Amino acid sequence: MTPQTRHPRSAWPRLLSALPAAEVKQLAASLAADYTIEDLVIPQSGLGLLQLRDSALADAYFLGEIPIAQAHVRLTANNRQPAEGAARVLDDRAKLARAIAVLDAILAAPLAGAEAVAALLERGWQRIAAQEAERRGLLNATRVDFSLLGTDEDDDDV
Amino acid sequence: MGYVAIKGGGRAIRGAEQALEALRTAEGEGGQPLALATIEQQLRLLTSRIVSEGGLYHPRLAALAIKQMQGDTLEAAFALRAYRSTKPRLLETPVQDTGRMRLIRRISSAFKDIPGGQMLGPTFDYALRLMRLDLAEESPQAFRGVARRFLAGAPDAELPDSFPKVVDALRAEGLLPPLAIHPEPAFDITREPLVFPVPRSAALATMARAETGSLLAIAYSNMRGYGDVHPTVAELRVGYLPVMLPHPVTGEPVEAGEVLLTECEIIAMYEGHGADGPPVFTLGYGACFGHNEVKAISMAILDRALQKGMRDGPNNPSEDPEFVLLHVDGVDSMGFASHYKMPHYVTFQSDMDRLRTTQDKAKARKKAEVEA
Repeated sequence: MTPQTRHPRSAWPRLLSALPAAEVKQLAASLAADYTIEDLVIPQSGLGLLQLRDSALADAYFLGEIPIAQAHVRLTANNRQPAEGAARVLDDRAKLARAIAVLDAILAAPLAGAEAVAALLERGWQRIAAQEAERRGLLNATRVDFSLLGTDEDDDDV
Repeated sequence: MGYVAIKGGGRAIRGAEQALEALRTAEGEGGQPLALATIEQQLRLLTSRIVSEGGLYHPRLAALAIKQMQGDTLEAAFALRAYRSTKPRLLETPVQDTGRMRLIRRISSAFKDIPGGQMLGPTFDYALRLMRLDLAEESPQAFRGVARRFLAGAPDAELPDSFPKVVDALRAEGLLPPLAIHPEPAFDITREPLVFPVPRSAALATMARAETGSLLAIAYSNMRGYGDVHPTVAELRVGYLPVMLPHPVTGEPVEAGEVLLTECEIIAMYEGHGADGPPVFTLGYGACFGHNEVKAISMAILDRALQKGMRDGPNNPSEDPEFVLLHVDGVDSMGFASHYKMPHYVTFQSDMDRLRTTQDKAKARKKAEVEA
């Protein structure tokens, strides 16, 4: 977290990924004009091998592959310490990852423009919250108590 | 070797591609091309099948593959595999904890009461398998209102972000063997060939991207009598797994996105644990990308069967790792079956030559017997 946002840095990519990519890239592009941006790792898209541990015998295994886009940048402005930002997202748009990395650097430092990034995060959080509410509703609407079977009670009669 | 390069046919092959496209669009002026979001949402179980059998969690591309291959699941999975082969491997994730899944469905057939409760979620389990004729003439207005009305009427009670696993409760009661983390690295079936014997991680990875029907058929053989797994579903979960990757700057785990998974543990018969340990239940484990319960259950049954086969030697096909793991991949098996459609003119010519020679010899032998 930073003074600008209540969300921890570990949640920023998720919140930004919940928004239309064009909005994220647009804000990053507008803020980037104030900085010299150096790519510490060339923005790239490819695949990651997803590793799980089975819950029967605790063997690690690979379930399959996932798309990964990643970027790592350093932002430099006049008279300021350089700031690093990075992103790894389940996506195949390297430009989106770079935009998120730029916003990550600005908000983490924080640099000028951090408030705008924080506002964008908040909008992403609202989308995530709405999605979580939908999933919660789906679970609550289908909660079942099988322990009522065989008794006189029947939730269909309520 | 009987294969031979052939020439000619280019015009016919191009025509065949165009014929496919013509049939895909044959609805004509009144038709609408399928939007990928439509396939992904309305055919979500089909999309799930393709992401798991293609071995790549990319629902949008899976929807594209379904559209391109006109609903052929094997060809669609093949297309997704072909796509993945063109992409660089950037990383292997750290081991992810499926206990953190954001569930949309959670059931147990072992216990009525499980910690956190059971939620049926989206399922056909208790639905009548009767045709819903109203869907044949579904209006866009009615279609658009269904989800909105359902969600508006759903109770908004607080729920935890994740739920404990049933097997953890059984383990705490001493009914399952204690978990011991194994240090062996996971086997990468996309880079290493299966040379038997293979570690269990290779079996799990192979079954996770296996063709659903193939897994089901072999698991069914075990259930029906060619095996001894009499499973009880300890827990079946469907939900979204947050994928945590280290942040390149801080090194702290960061959520890169989430992946829809189905995961299942089945309980099988108890047996002695170790030299002098008390008897405990045995477990099978299944998981796959997307929402595909039959696949996860089938995989769990086969995992349990293969554990027995790897330890004691196989008594049935479903316990034989080589039999199971080399015959469940849809792209492999479809490719092998389909290759028989390709020109085999030289091999068949050779077969005919040998048959004629054998026939001539048989005639000569018969003639010699008659003359003798």
